[in-house]
Amino acid sequence: MEVTVKIFRYNPEKDARGNYVTYKIEAEPTDRILDVLEHIKGKTDGALSFRRSCAHGVCGSDAMRINGRNRLACKVLVRDVGANITIEPLLGMKVKKDLIVDMEPFFNNYKKMTPYLVNNSPLPADGRERLQSPEQRARFDESTKCILCAACTTSCPSFWANDEYFGPAAFVTAHRFIFDSRDEGASQRLMVLAETDGTVRCHTAYNCTDACPREIHITQAIGDLKMAMVTGKLE
Amino acid sequence: MNALQTKPRTVPLSKRGMSFETFMWVFTRVTALAMYGFILVGLIGAIAMGALHEMTFVEVIRWALVSNPGHVESTNVQDIAPWASAFWRTVASGMFLTALAHGIHGVIVIVDDYVASASGRNWNRYISMAMFFVVMGAGLYVIWKA
Repeated sequence: MEVTVKIFRYNPEKDARGNYVTYKIEAEPTDRILDVLEHIKGKTDGALSFRRSCAHGVCGSDAMRINGRNRLACKVLVRDVGANITIEPLLGMKVKKDLIVDMEPFFNNYKKMTPYLVNNSPLPADGRERLQSPEQRARFDESTKCILCAACTTSCPSFWANDEYFGPAAFVTAHRFIFDSRDEGASQRLMVLAETDGTVRCHTAYNCTDACPREIHITQAIGDLKMAMVTGKLE
Repeated sequence: MNALQTKPRTVPLSKRGMSFETFMWVFTRVTALAMYGFILVGLIGAIAMGALHEMTFVEVIRWALVSNPGHVESTNVQDIAPWASAFWRTVASGMFLTALAHGIHGVIVIVDDYVASASGRNWNRYISMAMFFVVMGAGLYVIWKA
């Protein structure tokens, strides 16, 4: 089938502002959008820039706006979006080139959540691992699935309006550790979440939940964090 | 020895902090519930007044939202003097002030979403608080002088 692909292009060394370039190519309905981009880059326009790595929905590198929705290019098929495809960089972040955005502010917010297990207690008497029941593990199971693709954060109207806002992805990271029964760093994370640009800026638009390629119930996770901030209970 | 963590995990308020933003987040939820309470009180008053036969639906709603005696003047209720009591004016004032504080805080939060600079956010607060006091004065005047 012939596919018309409209792609946002921006070269900071040449362009004052971005523009759209349209390509017409042959593609199979079962081709992924990433395949379409590779085809254009390999055969039509070698200057086209985009991020990709694993190409199997695990690394989160190729998040972009496809027909107005944040999605992973490697997880969307041509037949899912039709013959007219518009591809743009993620919203709310500075575009470095074409579909590549500056992820530095996103990862700075991620780092604010202390994204690692904190446990300063002595090891158990047997000197082995800190055990956890299946129920305790299930408490934060969903938030371990985050691949930091930024699809959620860049779909959030609060983030579009204010890039100081930590954003849903940072909150999912906080959720992953705060509700881990082995972790002892909840206090410092809750202090950060209570800041002006923390969870109170979430107005439950649910865009993040819709955008998540891993189907994490992000708005619900943020609700868990809000309750933990108010009640102090981490169960 | 089993190293399974079995103690309930809680973080005391002193260690999780209660910032102004978090406090106001709770405030917004509590005031929303409080408004439902005031409306319920108003509805009970309207029924006691004879809402089934003496008032239209619009008049019931107006009274339930703000139990100001001016809202029942046009009804068929014969004697509205008991409904102009200090109790009902206090209920009306409670509803009005709760709604005003809830709404003004909502405006501050929404404007803050679009204004990231410290000075801009300060101006947002100055203007919103000025609006709060002006509307509060006008509203209380109407409720207690009507």
